[in-house]
Amino acid sequence: MDDSPPPPEATPPPPPPVTSGSPTDFLKNVVGKRVVVRLTSGVDYRGVLSCLDGYMNIALEQTEEHVNGTVTNRYGDAFIRGNNVLYISAAEPL
Amino acid sequence: MDTSTGIQEPFDLIRLSLSERVFVKLRGDRELTGILHAYDGHMNLILSDVEETIMLVDGMDGAPSGQGVVNVAKRKMEMLFVRGDGVILVSPPSRT
Amino acid sequence: MLIFSVFKTLTDQRVTVELKNDLSITGTLKSVDQFLNIRLDAIEVADQARHPHMMAVKNCFIRGSVVRYVQLPAEHVDTQLLEDATRREAASQAKR
Repeated sequence: MDDSPPPPEATPPPPPPVTSGSPTDFLKNVVGKRVVVRLTSGVDYRGVLSCLDGYMNIALEQTEEHVNGTVTNRYGDAFIRGNNVLYISAAEPL
Repeated sequence: MDTSTGIQEPFDLIRLSLSERVFVKLRGDRELTGILHAYDGHMNLILSDVEETIMLVDGMDGAPSGQGVVNVAKRKMEMLFVRGDGVILVSPPSRT
Repeated sequence: MLIFSVFKTLTDQRVTVELKNDLSITGTLKSVDQFLNIRLDAIEVADQARHPHMMAVKNCFIRGSVVRYVQLPAEHVDTQLLEDATRREAASQAKR
């Protein structure tokens, strides 16, 4: 019997990345789109995502602040400090 | 790269607000407006001509249950350093 | 670093430090470090009646992380200088 290790080509190559993509891909795709940003406090900000950085600091345009379903504030531009962010959700098809 | 507002990273929004009046939402149901003179990467801020609004949930006085916020306290400060870890949101003056 | 420098220029001035537990301490700024820890001399506590345990304390060290605000003497803050220094620091960080 041949007990030598299998030739290299026997190990399958890693599968190509699936199109759904990584979290980073999601963030790249969602820039410029309408989003919902939920903070850990439960407050939601709905607006157009201008940009974000590695700390998840976020710049939003045309922002509405929602507290349990009612609009409590509107901002032309808003900077949200990343540590407060629970999630970012796309509010339109990507 | 060049969007209508020319913003490439979130801090650009803050940089463009230097020497302008900004609105700041803080932890602990506090809000500030003041003129922005300095900030850093932690969102530590230095503001002048500051008005602080503190939202107080008033449980006393037998107020009928319903709206949570019954009372606000306001005070003014001439020159204020704000530690960045309390900052939730900063909004520049509406330039729409 | 920028805010640290600002505090260094304010040593020996009277400042009011408001902590996250609502205690307000006014004192002479003796020193500050890169974490914005603060040493105050000749302190007075606002609302002594609520904080009787502070009556005997004449100086203190405040850990930076417990600070909410520091009220600064406006006449000793050059706001134009602050804005220029902030833009310079922002530019150097963008290039990194």
